[in-house]
Amino acid sequence: MEVSDKLIQDLAPRKFGKKGVIWTISLIIISLAGIIAYIDQVIKGQVVTNMNDYALWGIYISNFVFFVATSFVGAVTVALLRLTNNAWRTPIVRVAEIISLASIVMAGITIMIDMGRPDRLLYLFIHGRMQSPIIWDVIIIPTYIAICFLLLYFPLLPDLAILKEHFSKTSPRLSKLYGKFSLNWTGSEKQKRIQLKSIHIIAILIIPAGFILQTVDAWLFSTLFRVGWDSTNMGAYFISGASVAGVGALVTVLYVIQRAYKLDHYITDYHFDKLGKFLVLTCLIYLYFNINEYVIPEFTSKKEEITHLNHLYSGQYAPLFWFVIIGGLIIPIIVLLFKKGRKPLPMFYIGLLVVVGSWWKRFLIVTPTLLQPFLPVQGVPEKWHHYFPSFHEWIITFATLAMALLIITALVRYLPIVPIQRTADEQEAIRTNKPLSS
Amino acid sequence: MKNRLKFNYIVYALAVFTWLSVSSQIAYGQTSKKNTVRLRADYFKIMNDHIYFDIKASSKIDKQTIGVAHIDILVSNIVNDDEIELGTVKTNMEGTCKFTLKSLSTLKVDSTNTYNMRFSFKGNDAFKRTSKSVSFKDANIVAQLTEKDSIHFIQATLFDASTNMPISERLLNVQVQRLFRPLRIGPEFNSTDNNGTIIVPIEKDIPGVNGNLTFEVVLNDSDDFGTVKALVNAPIGIPIVDESTFDERTMWSPRNKTPYLLLILPNLVILGMWGLIIYLTLNLFKISKP
Repeated sequence: MEVSDKLIQDLAPRKFGKKGVIWTISLIIISLAGIIAYIDQVIKGQVVTNMNDYALWGIYISNFVFFVATSFVGAVTVALLRLTNNAWRTPIVRVAEIISLASIVMAGITIMIDMGRPDRLLYLFIHGRMQSPIIWDVIIIPTYIAICFLLLYFPLLPDLAILKEHFSKTSPRLSKLYGKFSLNWTGSEKQKRIQLKSIHIIAILIIPAGFILQTVDAWLFSTLFRVGWDSTNMGAYFISGASVAGVGALVTVLYVIQRAYKLDHYITDYHFDKLGKFLVLTCLIYLYFNINEYVIPEFTSKKEEITHLNHLYSGQYAPLFWFVIIGGLIIPIIVLLFKKGRKPLPMFYIGLLVVVGSWWKRFLIVTPTLLQPFLPVQGVPEKWHHYFPSFHEWIITFATLAMALLIITALVRYLPIVPIQRTADEQEAIRTNKPLSS
Repeated sequence: MKNRLKFNYIVYALAVFTWLSVSSQIAYGQTSKKNTVRLRADYFKIMNDHIYFDIKASSKIDKQTIGVAHIDILVSNIVNDDEIELGTVKTNMEGTCKFTLKSLSTLKVDSTNTYNMRFSFKGNDAFKRTSKSVSFKDANIVAQLTEKDSIHFIQATLFDASTNMPISERLLNVQVQRLFRPLRIGPEFNSTDNNGTIIVPIEKDIPGVNGNLTFEVVLNDSDDFGTVKALVNAPIGIPIVDESTFDERTMWSPRNKTPYLLLILPNLVILGMWGLIIYLTLNLFKISKP
């Protein structure tokens, strides 16, 4: 199928404007500040953090869990929508794939930042015990990175070949690069057959991989028998939470790209409406799990668990807890239930609220439990009962978030955000009234 | 001429500097004081097993007694005026070490059937030379379990190994081995009678793994005979079930005892997923073929 010049013109990657350049430079500066802070942490040791004998997992692990959760968007949207043959997915899948890849790569890096001796990383593979959920994480994260990369790459092949042609006159170097990565794509029947089959396999493969990833992440906590973590609900709870974080991130990034690249004709109100319904569904499921996690134990649990819950309801973490529940779940549900709430701009703000809520939610999962030790020790310093991240921790954490955004920005800059070939095929199918293969 | 003068000054300065450095070292060497090492050596004999000497080296430095680590202690057997070297042991971080013998037959006795041992340290830069002599006679304890009117007893006899004569009026401790330290049983003082024998009744309610108990009859730190210990194994305790999962494949065991399910299932998932990833990567090569 021939792709029209207008379509290519609209969807081909473009140079950033002034705002885009400022955005990119800002991200680079934050990332560099984080790298400097991390080098200082490696030299001086984790004494530069505010982690202590109680709060031995701090903001780094919260951030890691957030990245893992956000990476679930690839499995939950791309794969499910592809397998269920939802035609409206086309303009959003690539953004979801990019977010997935960026998040899971940063999750892998973030967990290393938490290591006191990163030089001993290899020991995890050499001396690791299969009984430890940490080793399960070590196994599943590289696996998920590989799958996310393939999920992004296979559907890109025809578009890379189109871009090779498109940039052949205006930017020969870029054209050559696209040509190399397009793997001699000509659109032959054989190539199409292999590509479709591969995409289908990845779409199936990423679902169990995503579920394993989220569940292993949940088991990191639930296998420790600590108050707030000792729950058989944890795997499903994490999966539903990851869906919220992932779709929230997708909505936010999608809106920014739509505005920046002026893609209103391709990413329309209809897509935001669909994503809004999807997000409200995930929020409702997650709210249901939150009720299971927080409301029922208040009536049935033992003293330690109730003390922990009271810390969240009315203690030092109450403002954060209610912000996460109300701001991160209840308000999005109410707003998104109305059609006006599912318009792009309200969706952007809701997406942002959901992402911020999701990040703090991970902080609330990790920290309050740690501050109530399994075996309380008498006469410990008062400061052990509190944890607030140090300057180093904040800088490094912001840097990891900036790096994730930098990966997304770089991929958005050089890849077609809306699949060109697929869009052309869909337009052709509508015109000729012929069915389109998934 | 000017250069020559400058050169002379440099030579003088170097000479003065060298003399000052060397002289200060000599002065320091003359005034530095070596510390005294105190050696302690105890003789232990486990019946039908090995014999050993517990050696401890300590020193009082800055009014604090500390163990002297990593020094070599020479162990010798003194026979009349001859000194037979048996070997050398090095103290550990706490200043202790152990010298083990398979049997006393490797040692020689003097005319009074006494074994004379010397433990010596030849000194080093920080500590003075020192030595410690220990003398002891060989004694044996023969212990056995007896039963009378459904009551179990530990009967033990102490006798001089060289003369085979019973030793009377010596205190023997009877105790049962426990996890951290032995549990004393019977009367507080068990003095051997004219036949060198003691008889101690055993309580019925002592628990043991599978009912097995190990009793110890000990002549403790005797001036003449050192410490002599005899062990008696007896299946007369209240059986307790060993709930240890040490040998089982559990979630908390080391990696060589991983549960089979955890070995098989994750590896199957890994193989399955990475198998597909490799297949998909090969597909990329297939696509790239012209």
